[in-house]
Amino acid sequence: MSRNHWRKFTARFWKLVGGVSVRTKIFGIVLGSTLMLSLGFTLQVHHALRSVLEQKAQEQGISITRDIAARSTDLILINDLYSIHQLLVETQANFSDVRYAFIVDPQGQVLAHTFSAGFPTDLIEANTAAGMDYQNTTLVQTDEGQVWDVAVPIFGGKAGTARVGISDQSMRQTLTTLTTQLGLTILVVLAGSLLAASLLTWVLTRPILELVEVTRSVARGDFSARVQRWADDEIGDLAEAFNQMIIELGRLDVVRQEREALRKQLLEGMITVQEEERRRISRELHDSTSQSLTSLMIGLRNVSDVCSKPAVDEQIKLLRKEVSTTLDEVHTLAVQLRPVILDDLGLKAALERSVAEWGKRHKIAVDVFVHLGSTRLPDYMKTALYRIIQEALTNIAKHAHAESVSVLVERQKGGLVAVIEDDGQGFEVDNEFDSMHLGLLSMKERAELLDGTLVVESSSGYGTSIYVSIPIASKNGVDNGR
Amino acid sequence: MFSRLFIISCLLLFLLVACVPSNSSQSLVYIDLNNLESLPTPQKKEVRPLRVAIAAVISPQGSAESYAPLLDYISQELNRPVERVQRRTYTEVNELIRTGEVDLAFVCTSSYLVGKKQFGMQLLAAPQVNGEVVYNAEIIVPADSSAKSLEDLRGKVFAYTDPISFTGRMYPTYLLQKAGEDPEEYFARTFFTYSHDDAINAVAAGLADGASVDKLVLDYAIKRDPALAEKIQVIHTSPPFGMPPVVVNPDIRPQLKAQLTDILLNTHLDPDGKYALQDLDYDRFVVVSAEDYQSAEAIESAVQCCQPEGK
Repeated sequence: MSRNHWRKFTARFWKLVGGVSVRTKIFGIVLGSTLMLSLGFTLQVHHALRSVLEQKAQEQGISITRDIAARSTDLILINDLYSIHQLLVETQANFSDVRYAFIVDPQGQVLAHTFSAGFPTDLIEANTAAGMDYQNTTLVQTDEGQVWDVAVPIFGGKAGTARVGISDQSMRQTLTTLTTQLGLTILVVLAGSLLAASLLTWVLTRPILELVEVTRSVARGDFSARVQRWADDEIGDLAEAFNQMIIELGRLDVVRQEREALRKQLLEGMITVQEEERRRISRELHDSTSQSLTSLMIGLRNVSDVCSKPAVDEQIKLLRKEVSTTLDEVHTLAVQLRPVILDDLGLKAALERSVAEWGKRHKIAVDVFVHLGSTRLPDYMKTALYRIIQEALTNIAKHAHAESVSVLVERQKGGLVAVIEDDGQGFEVDNEFDSMHLGLLSMKERAELLDGTLVVESSSGYGTSIYVSIPIASKNGVDNGR
Repeated sequence: MFSRLFIISCLLLFLLVACVPSNSSQSLVYIDLNNLESLPTPQKKEVRPLRVAIAAVISPQGSAESYAPLLDYISQELNRPVERVQRRTYTEVNELIRTGEVDLAFVCTSSYLVGKKQFGMQLLAAPQVNGEVVYNAEIIVPADSSAKSLEDLRGKVFAYTDPISFTGRMYPTYLLQKAGEDPEEYFARTFFTYSHDDAINAVAAGLADGASVDKLVLDYAIKRDPALAEKIQVIHTSPPFGMPPVVVNPDIRPQLKAQLTDILLNTHLDPDGKYALQDLDYDRFVVVSAEDYQSAEAIESAVQCCQPEGK
């Protein structure tokens, strides 16, 4: 077998062995080895006993035949056929293994035999013994099984030959009895092995199954689960180490949760501070800077009224235009920083306006649908949703090359759902989520701060869809019906 | 999953079973032990063999071995197969001679005396051993026995050979009856061995405290097995009696009788015959007459026992 074949074989073997449960493996090993051992033992004993019994039977046959030959010599010489017959019959009666006995004279005539009526004449030729032979044994197949036919010359062959047939039936019976007893013993041993295997399986698999159960609990976040230490062995050590690991994991999890909470708090604080700052700047720009610029405009008009010279008019006109542009820019900046409308008219109006403005600015067809019903949302939630959509639109404008965009915000059972779809070039989500779209990350952060989720579905050439879902619970401070 | 494991296990098991060596793979002769047929009856031999009976002076095996070369020689000289016939007792052999079932018989002296009286058994010849045509009975005891004569064996175990054996039964009975004893009472127990060598062995083994045996057989046995001499001792030797003869039925064809006499008397002249005689320790066969058996006959008629059954 080449190395390759061997490798293939071992691979298949492990596939076969690995595919079954530990219980099956243990049962297989225990039962297999018990069976192999018992059967090998039985066959060996059967074989050895058979040879011994065969030898014994042949030796007995030879002694019996020689005895007959010795005792029949004088009887043959004095022609006492009746006594010869008696000798044969008694021999057969005394030795149960003797199937037949007969005496052939030197001319091949049967002088006496133990068959009741007639004689199987083929038997005469089946075996012979020359005058100088000690004995001659031949195995003969008969209708009653195998028979060892022993021939012993009488009086050096001058008085004929004594023949005895030793049947193998009692030998077979002994063998069968022994084999049956061994078989029964094997059954008992097998039953014992099965019990032992069950016990072994139970001892081995119970802690393993418990480990699996506890591992699943830990995976679900339950760090209170513990494995019971059943025995003071390797498996017990494993259970101990496992429990130690769970305690350590639980401790780490507490630390992690604390840190996470801290981080969330920090992030919330930062966002709040940022929003407050933006709102302040936006108010400042709107209330103070815009008012100043408007006053400047009025001042400039008054100047042109007072001093009407073509050159001055020209300059003032330029200045007024400049101030007007700055006013627009300040307005846009203020809106972008913090649309006043969001605070004054709510999310629906703010979104509809800002999305429409965005479409106009970037010349992209926008479809916006906001349906919030009668729900009044808390400020931070409105801000978060507004910012997420704002960020999404910024991304689309920057990267998507989209021709149309649709924005949907809907109040659904259990929360708010926002869907932002575009028909742009899209991107491979997995590859570029973290590196290229830092904006996406901040969107996700915002959603998660509110215990919500943000899912991006996109692939190259098929546009992008962003699904945002934010739950509304008492925690998020929502008052229905207001 | 289990099913796949099961299949793998089965494959491994199969391998295990396959590894156990199996026997009986060689093709065996097949015989149906229950297909019984009647045995063929022995075919009548075309040439009727000369049937020769050997009385069980020694055990059947010993007789068969010792007489084989002589029977082969007779067969060769007669140009006719010879069949050896043996029986356990002298009486049975006598019966075979009487009915003509055997043509020639080597018998014991007493067998001849009984046969002659019953149906006129005829003498053909007798072996000559060590230049003698007579033999003796010897009473033996185990080597470590303190018995010095038959008198010392009172109340002991005594082994007879054959019920009508001359040396083995008639002679010791004669001795006891002459001394006014009843043999049935004299010994604690008696038994028959039906051959002289078995009687010798019984004494040597200590089964019997004494036995009366054919001296020729004893000498022959000691020659065969010298260790036997150390196990027994002879405490009495009888006067000589006529040698156990070779006999025939009175109705034998005269031509066959002459032929057989001729062969026997000339055996020692033939190299093969001489060889056959050596096996039996015989010098030669000689002609004997009824007179040679008178001393034995005197004892036979004096003894009150040992009659064949039914006579």
